Amino acid sequence: MDVIVCVKHVPDAETRLRAASSGKWIDPDGVKFTVNNTYDEAAAEEALRLKEKCGAKSVRVITVGPARAEEALRYVLSMGADEATLIETPPDAQLDPLTTSRLLAGVIKTLPHDIVMVGKQAADDEAGVVGSALGALLGLPSYAFVTELSPDATTKTLKMRRYVEGGEEHFHGPFPAVISLLKGAADPRTPTLPNILKARKKPLTKVPLADAQAKAQALPGAPVAGTVRSFVLPPPRTGAKMVEFQTPEEAAEKLVKLLREEAKVL
Amino acid sequence: MPIGFELTPDQKELQTLASKFAREEMAPRAPECDKKALFPEDIYRRAFDLGLMNLNVPTEYGGSGLALLDQCIITEELASACGGMTTSILANCLAIQPINLGGSPEQKERLLKPFCSSYHLASFGLTEPSGGSDAAALKTRAERRGNHYVLNGQKCFITNAPQASLFTIFATVDPAKRDKGICAFVVPRDTPGLSIGKEEDKMGQRASSTATVIMEDVKVPLENMLGKEGEGFRIAMQTLDSTRTPIGALAVGIARAALEQASKYSLQRTSFGKKIAEHQSIAAKIANMTIELDASRLLTWRAAWLVDQGHRASLESSIAKCFSSDAAMRICDEAIQIFGGYGYMRDYPVEKYLRDAKLCQIYEGANEIQRQVIAREFLKRFA
Repeated sequence: MDVIVCVKHVPDAETRLRAASSGKWIDPDGVKFTVNNTYDEAAAEEALRLKEKCGAKSVRVITVGPARAEEALRYVLSMGADEATLIETPPDAQLDPLTTSRLLAGVIKTLPHDIVMVGKQAADDEAGVVGSALGALLGLPSYAFVTELSPDATTKTLKMRRYVEGGEEHFHGPFPAVISLLKGAADPRTPTLPNILKARKKPLTKVPLADAQAKAQALPGAPVAGTVRSFVLPPPRTGAKMVEFQTPEEAAEKLVKLLREEAKVL
Repeated sequence: MPIGFELTPDQKELQTLASKFAREEMAPRAPECDKKALFPEDIYRRAFDLGLMNLNVPTEYGGSGLALLDQCIITEELASACGGMTTSILANCLAIQPINLGGSPEQKERLLKPFCSSYHLASFGLTEPSGGSDAAALKTRAERRGNHYVLNGQKCFITNAPQASLFTIFATVDPAKRDKGICAFVVPRDTPGLSIGKEEDKMGQRASSTATVIMEDVKVPLENMLGKEGEGFRIAMQTLDSTRTPIGALAVGIARAALEQASKYSLQRTSFGKKIAEHQSIAAKIANMTIELDASRLLTWRAAWLVDQGHRASLESSIAKCFSSDAAMRICDEAIQIFGGYGYMRDYPVEKYLRDAKLCQIYEGANEIQRQVIAREFLKRFA
């Protein structure tokens, strides 16, 4: 069983963002990028558990992005993945999620894949498209918002769980398939120092953008989902009030007083 | 070879790992451990599991085998969350370094490998109640009796002593011989006659434990002596030469945390109708703190780089340790000043930084000794 996990290199949640001069995306200058993208990390963790607990043969991590995105791949290699593929875009490329999906699908088609894992959405554009699009482009079933999965290699069936309104759904379906993860069964592991050093020696293949585009050309469907016209940051929030306190009781008392007398919501 | 200040991808990843561990696991526990002087063993175990302990032990003996610069990068991150915890984590490197430097391949295999294979703490025993800086005057006696030595004496201010399972102890066969009489021994915790005194109640770095080690007729077999009789002093000094620079990095970490807190506060707090950071006197403080922090880090990196290139770097490592720890005191002091009355309160984090930073001027060679080394090494050029 070969597992592929797709991740995205996204701005760190604590980094301060500015709009780029193009007015269409953030200015990447001075932004710290990370793979600490909750859903992608969960997908990576689950992919590794498939190898450790369910005897999957290999885990390959793939991303589409500029050269810096290699960091995200190295991170997942440090977590324990075996191989990595970088579909390298120019540093200023701004891809819509369908283009990303097509590039990924074009390359994934050429690699052995029984289970393709993705986070349910990226932490930056939060489009949530890649999982379903990959299924369509690869001609595979696609299971979304999964929280738990266990494969049966002989029947080629996956048992899965996911949250639905008011409860939890237990379901199964065949694989090869694409799975988008809401969360995994375990917290994503932190790479250990020896594994970080070992990851440096693991194979990382770079696919030039033109090659990936050529592979994507034969895929069905519309080539582009939409074009960003402008990107604006939310206006800075005002009117916040800090309540100073010594005890939780005092904090609650002051808060209630403010909510009642100033905000008049109570 | 050109000089570069860009970290390698490996170093960036090590930094990210250390920073994540520091931020997510160490920092939330730091205030309570400080207040109650708790020794957070689970944190130290986790540091071991992540490979953040025994950084200086070669990989063939189960350590991480990192270059000194890499160790400094990790140390700064850890110390930005808690100086005390970082000291306890680093104390293993200090305690084990004599085996790294003076141990035979057989000793490394026998002593280091099992030690590094699972979570263990070790302590470095050089300082004594009657003296620390004048190490050659130590009084702990080592008496040769047949195929073992018998140790008698006391070591004080020993980091991790209450929890350590291994001690590197420096003792003399003849105090009159001063440095020429000193030997280095590896003593397991369960050796009869070795006991631990009461735990010290410290001003800062309270998440780290400190105690006296008492030796009464402690029998140590010959095969646990590092190097030959009389080589202990050289081993101790070489050890301190190589662990001094990370102390600089530890001070940088504490100071960085203080500067970050002070900077955020100065942009939040208002007086006379504007942010206090917009007042020239506060802005100047932030500027000076930034300058000193930057200089500290660069001096530390330079010293570590020199060691990694195979140079002796006594002068540069003393400069790094001395300047960084002095600067950390000034930076933490100013951070409290920027916080004003709040800074003096235990509910705010900055007063802890000052108490933690103070130790960096004292341990692993007091700054007075560092200045002697600096002057001696520098004046050699004119003699």
